[in-house]
Amino acid sequence: MHKWGMVIDLDRCSGCQTCMAACHAENNIAIIGPEESAMGRTIHWIELLPFIEGEYPHIKARLLPRPCMHCEHPACIKVCPVGATYANEEGIVGIVYSRCIGCRYCTTACPYTVRSFNWYKPQWPKEMQGSLNRDVSIRGKGVVEKCSFCHHRLLKAREKAKVEKRELLSEDYIPACVQACPSNAMYFGDLNDPFSTVSILSRERRAFKLLEDLGTEPKVIYLSEGM
Amino acid sequence: MKFNRRDFLKMGGGAGAAIALGGGFWKWTQFPPVERLNEPGIERWIPTVCGQCTGGCGILVRVIDGWAVNIAGNPLHPVNRGTLCPKGIAGLQGLYDPDRIRTPLKRIGNRGEGRYQPITWEEALHLVSESLKDLRQKGEPHHLVVLGGRHRGLMRSLWDRFLKSFGSPNYIDNQFRWEEPPVEGLFLTQGINSLPAYDIDNAQYILSFGSGILESPWSPVQMLRGYGHFRRGRPGIRGRLVQIESRLSFTGIKADEWVPVQPGAEGILALGIAHMIIKEGLYHKEFISGQTFGFESWTGPDGREHLGFKEFVLSEYEPTVVSKRTGVPIDQLIRLAREFSSNQLSLAIGYRDRPFHQMAVAALNGMMGNIDVSGGVLIPRSIPYQSLPPLKEDAIAQRGSSQKRIDEGKGNSVDHPYLFAGNTLSGKPYKPKVLFLYYTNPLFSNPDPGLFSRALQEIPLVVSFSPYMDDSARFSDLILPDHTPLERWQDDPVFLNNGFPVLGIRQPVILPLYQTKATGDFLLALARSLGGQIQKAFPWNDFKEVMMVSLKGVFEAKRGDTFGLQFDEAWTRLLQRGGWSVPSYKNFEEFSKLLLEKGGWWDPVYDFGERDRVFRTPSRKFEFYSQGWEKARSSSSGEEKDSSFLPHWEESKEAGNEKEYPFHLHVFRTMSLTGGRNANQPWLQAMAGQHLFERWKTWVEINPGTAKRMSISDGDWVWVESKRGKVRVKARLYKGAMPDVVNIPFGQGHASGGRWSKGIGENPYRLIGDDLDPITGYPTHGTTRVKVYKG
Repeated sequence: MHKWGMVIDLDRCSGCQTCMAACHAENNIAIIGPEESAMGRTIHWIELLPFIEGEYPHIKARLLPRPCMHCEHPACIKVCPVGATYANEEGIVGIVYSRCIGCRYCTTACPYTVRSFNWYKPQWPKEMQGSLNRDVSIRGKGVVEKCSFCHHRLLKAREKAKVEKRELLSEDYIPACVQACPSNAMYFGDLNDPFSTVSILSRERRAFKLLEDLGTEPKVIYLSEGM
Repeated sequence: MKFNRRDFLKMGGGAGAAIALGGGFWKWTQFPPVERLNEPGIERWIPTVCGQCTGGCGILVRVIDGWAVNIAGNPLHPVNRGTLCPKGIAGLQGLYDPDRIRTPLKRIGNRGEGRYQPITWEEALHLVSESLKDLRQKGEPHHLVVLGGRHRGLMRSLWDRFLKSFGSPNYIDNQFRWEEPPVEGLFLTQGINSLPAYDIDNAQYILSFGSGILESPWSPVQMLRGYGHFRRGRPGIRGRLVQIESRLSFTGIKADEWVPVQPGAEGILALGIAHMIIKEGLYHKEFISGQTFGFESWTGPDGREHLGFKEFVLSEYEPTVVSKRTGVPIDQLIRLAREFSSNQLSLAIGYRDRPFHQMAVAALNGMMGNIDVSGGVLIPRSIPYQSLPPLKEDAIAQRGSSQKRIDEGKGNSVDHPYLFAGNTLSGKPYKPKVLFLYYTNPLFSNPDPGLFSRALQEIPLVVSFSPYMDDSARFSDLILPDHTPLERWQDDPVFLNNGFPVLGIRQPVILPLYQTKATGDFLLALARSLGGQIQKAFPWNDFKEVMMVSLKGVFEAKRGDTFGLQFDEAWTRLLQRGGWSVPSYKNFEEFSKLLLEKGGWWDPVYDFGERDRVFRTPSRKFEFYSQGWEKARSSSSGEEKDSSFLPHWEESKEAGNEKEYPFHLHVFRTMSLTGGRNANQPWLQAMAGQHLFERWKTWVEINPGTAKRMSISDGDWVWVESKRGKVRVKARLYKGAMPDVVNIPFGQGHASGGRWSKGIGENPYRLIGDDLDPITGYPTHGTTRVKVYKG
């Protein structure tokens, strides 16, 4: 059984936000206009978060790309009253959109604030409609959404492996953000395989997880900057 | 009222359609409606070249049922090796931009009013061709001006050829200036007018003088890939980056050290560092004695004594002087000098500051001998295109071409878009009569856009080839929309950070969505309609044919190979070093087929030590004293001081006094809206200022302490006013802002455009435009002073 995980090397990361754009394109994320954005109703499955500390001129700033952590013990699942949020056997935390009642308990419970609520019916000008990704369903108004580790790509890769009559290799499956990252700061693979790149990197001295003390056990591992 | 293309054709022309819509008003996006012309089919990934910026990344476009549904990097393309930047991904929104111009348009209202009527391509060709014939009949073909922007390769050759056979010397390069690497510095020291390659992948230490390495390099993906490698790609080596800039930019955040200096003061800091390196004798003595000119004092052929760079810097740029001017403590200055010279290979990268400040930064590389070495400044070879056949100019063309350029530039070497605008207004040397705008938006992307809009008013016929209703298209009389990059054929010659030449091939991934036409094809049709020698100079049917003819040269060069995996790269290089060329193709047909399948051709070898290519200065050496500039100048002026050809510091004339305008204005660029061309793409708008969570607007960054003193709170709306104008923007407190500098991002504030860009935010370029640099004729960066008040 695979356990999918991601490693983000902050020393390589340049803060370019390609991951954000790639995610928008891949997952048909709704366009949120200026007025709606000003109310904080934007949707990003992966977002670059700034941490700026100190006072001028002694400032330490950090930029941190933050997807869903796909925790081993996700806070969001426990609070969902209708069982819309679940974790599959490979550790990917997903949402059944048709079950979601929009109560937003999960958006509050998630310590990493990865979940977004659809305040509006997603709309695209008719000129753009055909260019949506056909592999990902569009979320309606009133449901919560978040990063799925591009789960649809896993399904596709698995189908392909089946057709080719072979086992699924971890190279077959890679989320859109990892694929697009220009400075090669993101890695993706099987954490159960002790020799996979992600496993090796996750044991590195620089490795850390966000809010580790909460006991959520994220499957997204960061590598800190500097030596 | 429903209205489709068939109805329109029945009505027999644009005028009818415009009347049918009432009042003659025409919204350019209403015609023709979306139509799916593309064949249904299975999923395909088609290789082409991204056109969202100047980077030249290879992409694969996923096409399903004739729709482009996703863009991924082409793993074989050496510029980006399968990765992308946010702009590249948003290329889909550029293609399917609902506000694209869908048919040729003719202005019916006043300039800038935005009222247009659709016309046919035949009519458009007739209109342009008649006015050009008229110019030639009157014997004034030089009154045709082409203002061209970010494009390269054969399209540029075609424009030059067209102007030459037509009889005009006026191709004026108006690229977005502050995005480019410091090319003037390269010209002054190495005599080269093209872009250098900075081998950041193999450098140990990068000293960046205000260069937006991580947000606005000319080829972002390549630079970011290089950055990843520079940091952690080499076992046991981690490159060190120091950013000298007046704002804590993303590059500053990611750097190991941020050195804040006032805008425009980077140049004097470079000279201060040079002073310390000379004083401590840390420079590369062998390189300096063998391959440089003007470091020590020298005697000219006329017996005149000249001051050397060494003596000049030692006497003028004492650490105390530099420290006082920049606010950088002396010990930090000394440390930077020592770090820069001891961490070899080190690389100093500047931005397009004043030319002699760029030269000061380039001189640091020269002092350490980091020219034409791995990890240093490299000069890429050009692509071995087959040159187009020689053309005959008729008498009118010869007379026209020999006229003075409107911008008084010298040949193709120095373009002065600013002088073009000024001279158009003053009518000296003459007023242009026809202006073509190709891939440039001068009414937005230049400081003082008002100057350009006044200049355009003076020109009787302005033709824009923009596929979008940008600020300049709105001022045009005719708009002849080009295909967007994903719909057309084009060559894209670029190079890698390590100097390898790369030729990307852009091919259409879907059929054109609307009634647009590739400008290359239009230009060929225009040449045919003009007849005579002009027609003879353009014997090709379409742009693709021109491209295929020129590619013969690449095939016959017997170098390089079509793109392949990284393993193939090493193999090709090994063979080529041994004097072999074993490409994957045997004949031209195979070559062209592979080009389209893999995305292009490259030559993974950099030839070190070809001095004639690397140093094109009069001395054929790296020049600390610019003899090239001295030669170019000597005709126009008399005796000059030695220091005016040495890297030196030029104090700026600041616009506005310190009391009335207490702040420096720093205009910065972000990764998503670098050149302001992609503002109508909501994915990019949604992440414009991620460090402050700002999106869909323009903000001004103020130091929290300063803001408190002025009683400005985070999120207040404020006016930022310079002598030239004012803009209303949202105040954001940012710890990375210097106390006396306010920062505004560039990219928003379009007066025209689509639903997601028009009227959103403000253009800070409206505030600047004084203090023109004498060499480039372009406003210098960072000299504008502003005041800020609530409103």
